Amino acid sequence: MNRFLIPGALLALALVYPLLVQSLPVYERLGALVLLGAIGASAWNIVGGYAGQVSVGHAVFFGFGAYSSVVVYTHLGWPPIAGAPLGMALSVLLAAVIGVPTLRLSGHYFSMATIAVGELVRVLSSTSEFLGGAQGLGGPAIPRTVFDLSFLSAMPFYYIFLVVLSLLLLLTWIIERGRMGFYLRAIKDSERAARSLGVSAGRYKLYAYMLSGAFAALAGSLYLCMFGFVDPDSGFGILISVKMVVMAALGGAGQLFGPLVGALILVPLEELSNSLLGGQGAGLTFVVYGAIIVIIARFLPSGLLSLLNRRKVNRVD
Amino acid sequence: MSLILVQVIVSGLLLGAVYALFSSGLTLIWGMMNVVNFAHGDFVMLGMYSAVMVWTALGGGPFAAVPVAAMLIATLGVLSYFMLVRHIMKGPMLAQILGTFGLALFLRYAAFWYFGANFKTLPDTLVGGSFVFMGLRFEGSRVLAGAMGLGITLLLHFILTRTAIGSRMLAVSEDATAAQLMGIRPQRMQALAWGMAGAATGIAGALIANFFYTSPTVGETLAILAFVTVSFGGFGSVLGALVAGLIIGVVESLSAYLIGPVYKDVIVYILFVLVLWFRPQGLMGKT
Amino acid sequence: MLIDARNVVKAFGAFKAVDDASVSVEEGDILGLIGPNGAGKSTFFNCLTGDLPVTSGTVSFAGADVTRLPPEARAALGLARTFQVPLTFESMSVLDNAMIGALLRHPQARDARAKAREVLERVGLGPLIDTPARSLGTPGRKRLEIARALASEPKALLLDEAMAGLTPTEVRDAIELVKRVHGGGITIVIVEHIMEVIVSLASRVVVFHQGREIARGTPREVTSDPAVIEAYLGRRKVRHA
Repeated sequence: MNRFLIPGALLALALVYPLLVQSLPVYERLGALVLLGAIGASAWNIVGGYAGQVSVGHAVFFGFGAYSSVVVYTHLGWPPIAGAPLGMALSVLLAAVIGVPTLRLSGHYFSMATIAVGELVRVLSSTSEFLGGAQGLGGPAIPRTVFDLSFLSAMPFYYIFLVVLSLLLLLTWIIERGRMGFYLRAIKDSERAARSLGVSAGRYKLYAYMLSGAFAALAGSLYLCMFGFVDPDSGFGILISVKMVVMAALGGAGQLFGPLVGALILVPLEELSNSLLGGQGAGLTFVVYGAIIVIIARFLPSGLLSLLNRRKVNRVD
Repeated sequence: MSLILVQVIVSGLLLGAVYALFSSGLTLIWGMMNVVNFAHGDFVMLGMYSAVMVWTALGGGPFAAVPVAAMLIATLGVLSYFMLVRHIMKGPMLAQILGTFGLALFLRYAAFWYFGANFKTLPDTLVGGSFVFMGLRFEGSRVLAGAMGLGITLLLHFILTRTAIGSRMLAVSEDATAAQLMGIRPQRMQALAWGMAGAATGIAGALIANFFYTSPTVGETLAILAFVTVSFGGFGSVLGALVAGLIIGVVESLSAYLIGPVYKDVIVYILFVLVLWFRPQGLMGKT
Repeated sequence: MLIDARNVVKAFGAFKAVDDASVSVEEGDILGLIGPNGAGKSTFFNCLTGDLPVTSGTVSFAGADVTRLPPEARAALGLARTFQVPLTFESMSVLDNAMIGALLRHPQARDARAKAREVLERVGLGPLIDTPARSLGTPGRKRLEIARALASEPKALLLDEAMAGLTPTEVRDAIELVKRVHGGGITIVIVEHIMEVIVSLASRVVVFHQGREIARGTPREVTSDPAVIEAYLGRRKVRHA
């Protein structure tokens, strides 16, 4: 089966990657960050890419996940990862609350409304003492049990993220091939036509939004487990939302591997830029980073993966 | 009404007029070609740096800074149109976000690299400090910004609705092909729109710099405000942006005064979501 | 009565685009809606499909009151439509376009795919099954919209200017297609400009002018009605395709 050849090869490569770079912790960390970015962007992809509802407020869910994980530690003494299911469940509820009013909006209005909701939640979180206010909250400083997921190396995180990403992509693949996947793409192309064919567009958009929110929350929980700290900006900041959009769009939104491709390019670039930010010519690498995004948008508006499936379209009547 | 409440409302209106000014460029572009410029806040930021440079290099105040910023940011707008926007506006909406966000990063870090990360402020004596008028206290810089904000937004509205060039631009936004058949060059009109939007945005930046700190990342905060103002008012409507800007300004300063400064944004965002709930096309948007 | 619209009013502000229209369609009928541009026939059509909510009046379909139902619920009851300007799913193949319709009655993708293939063969798009829909021209798109609608296995098919923009030969092909669809037991409502289409297809015609019904009857009766000639034929040259 040719269809499984490329995903299989990718997975095999991903499995041995830490062995290839074992001597360099920097690359282990980088690998983990790429996967984490890909999880967030793949979550976004369900509603933003497949259904074409461009949310620029997914940080709300990411932040809910991260805060749920840290809150179960600070207030209940549980290991942070135990907050992940809580964050996912809360995000599904929250997605329903946000989605019902905003998903009626079309195009840019939906994007703007999600930005506003994201900012609203960010500001509220910075005023909440329960959430540690503007200072944020930290996870366990010293690991108590193995469930605290506090490791010296990034390698365990790498494999945890790899499992989560694989499951998420598998789920997305199943959706893509079933009725929901067809309906989401139809809604993206023309909501009016889809509804004329019996597609309950409102309901399917909401399902996609809730599912997407749940996995964005899981990304947030995993982030907290790895970094052990979250504040309003690193949890709910607009940059978190924008990065999910940009990664997915750069690789190819609405395509299974689009967000992963985007993460493979953007995360290393960003890490490199960050590591050089302190030194001479500070900021120059980010200028290049911006320029690369501009160039890709200019020449490959449908993302990098469009290079692969660029078929010549002839007019037939 | 107590004097202090009047003071709060008047400051809110002055602030709102500035919001309207730095949002009018965004709404013009959005309405004319259905493009949201995610680099808009960074255009404002560069307008602010223009004012800082005019002062540090030439010792010039706002009357020198405003034309300089207008010209610089208008040029930036036209360049962005020809080099980037023209190519991505027909593509998927995501390409617009990707392209203009990339541009935003590019500009933001170019400023970071060139000017450094430190906040810069202009001396408030540059626009006559503050004064008392009819029992109300005014800062010169804010009065100037508010008055010019109101004037320029209205001028922009007038150009778009009452002049030949405005109706040509409108024709292009409604149907570019039909406009072309009538002898209008769509690209020229769109480039002009980017120039006008850039000029308004640059002026806004130069005026804001007199009472707000200037830093490479200030654009992010301002962009969110502009997005909210524009969707609140209805995309494409400069008058809508003006009304929305004034409402937001007043609501912000009232809630900062009555409830507390931290909650002013919360109230504005809630108001915004409510407006979209009842009027999904914004206050003055077309359906 | 398969479709029964009573006293339908659709107002945009003070302007009544449809003013008290009552139209009913019997099962197995082909009803033509005609009228000059801006007569309100397309608005009325969209009130039938649920794309526009009525200001007042009622619409019922297959015995159920659907006045307040959204388009998707009407589609589920068996009311399918095409669009004046085709709304093809641009990013999909021809087959996938038809699958969106087929999935309504066949939730499993495999069954829906089989149904979609069958319908595409029937309307003559068989050879183009794997083509991207965006590469189709206007006649292909119109045909695809009909296929997509048929794949949802409707009781009634509402065609909004299905012939607009077609050449005379293409119009004749399309008329044949509609006749075949009707032969398959589907009730048809057709909004049309081109007289030839109405005359050769419709068994009954309703004429709209300025939001109101001004005549109804067989195509022959209607085309000789002085009020119709005054409102419609008198001012426009009849387009003999």
